[in-house]
Amino acid sequence: MVLDAYASANPNLVHEDVLQKSRDACYKARDAFYTCLEKESGKKPTEIASVGLLYPKECSLSRTEFVKSCRSSWVKHFDREYCRNKRVQRLLDDGDERKGPMSLPQPYTFKPSPST
Amino acid sequence: MFAARRLLLSCKQGANQAASFLRGRRIQSSNYSQSTRQGTTHGRTDLNPLPVGTAQTYSRSRARYAAPALALGFTGFLAFLHYNDERRAVPKGQPSSSNSSGCGCGSNTTVRGPIIGGPFTLMSTQNKIVTEKDLRNKWVLLYFGYSFSPDVGPEQLKMISRVVDKLESNHDKKILPVFVTLDPVRDTPSHLHAYLKEFDDRILGLTGSASAMRHMAQEYRVYFKKVQEDGDDYLVDTSHNMYLLNPKMEVVRCFGVEYNPDDLSQEVLKEVTSASQ
Repeated sequence: MVLDAYASANPNLVHEDVLQKSRDACYKARDAFYTCLEKESGKKPTEIASVGLLYPKECSLSRTEFVKSCRSSWVKHFDREYCRNKRVQRLLDDGDERKGPMSLPQPYTFKPSPST
Repeated sequence: MFAARRLLLSCKQGANQAASFLRGRRIQSSNYSQSTRQGTTHGRTDLNPLPVGTAQTYSRSRARYAAPALALGFTGFLAFLHYNDERRAVPKGQPSSSNSSGCGCGSNTTVRGPIIGGPFTLMSTQNKIVTEKDLRNKWVLLYFGYSFSPDVGPEQLKMISRVVDKLESNHDKKILPVFVTLDPVRDTPSHLHAYLKEFDDRILGLTGSASAMRHMAQEYRVYFKKVQEDGDDYLVDTSHNMYLLNPKMEVVRCFGVEYNPDDLSQEVLKEVTSASQ
């Protein structure tokens, strides 16, 4: 019962790209890419990364490195996490600008029209 | 005028026929034959009252049986619901005896939660069959994850190994860490062995057939779902449950991803020492 799952696949296959070494390489490439994004945040993002993330052309080198070192599902996962964190940061930062009382319009009086 | 009276007559005759013979087809045929004999001059008009008449008599007899039939059907439906509820009932734990009252509540509550856990049959990374009996008489830190996890899985495993180290070196308490994979198709025993070896030698990796794994995940109330499927490359969305089991195979605590190693070792130590007193 327990052994039937391995009849088809190769039971001795070890996926190297989730072991420690490749994981560390992936994390390093990912951090490099995201720091590049932070650094070039002033530039206009033109290239499409994945799951809605955009990045400027200056970071394409680190992007290719990132995509090469990590599995594609991991790339999408990290991109999604990054977008989520950015959104939360933006919400937390924007709050400061809107604090304080709103300036209401000054009361104005109707001047009676001169005809009547 | 004459036609109206004939219509009424045929209608009454039809009703009488229906009252005397309570079953269907014979009435129909006799009524039809009657009406055709009478209504030859008027053709189609005489056939019209016939269905109305029979419909009336049918609805009268049907109305007599409708109410009790409905009541019976309703009670039958209620009985079925009750039976279904009993069948699906989750057995609740006993509040009286010990500290183990369920998951996450600590040892002081008497809240009865559902019994988490149950028998399972999986294969270890040494290709040996492991059942729940092998976990008896030991404190077990049970974690459900998968090796292809990008960040949470490795972090949790690192934390588990650090906790086990701490407890063994500082407090001389032996805890058995167990890793059950939620992705047995990709996590073959040899792959799991290579993966877990990098964290800690003591972690017992369990994998098996998909049905055995699903059975155990159901018993331990673990959520898992394949997401982002792209052929062979997918992630498993899971609740990353980590349970602490006492030597009697009862779940005493559950830990989520928010714990850091120090807090986790503190909590585990608390449970272990309180139980041994």
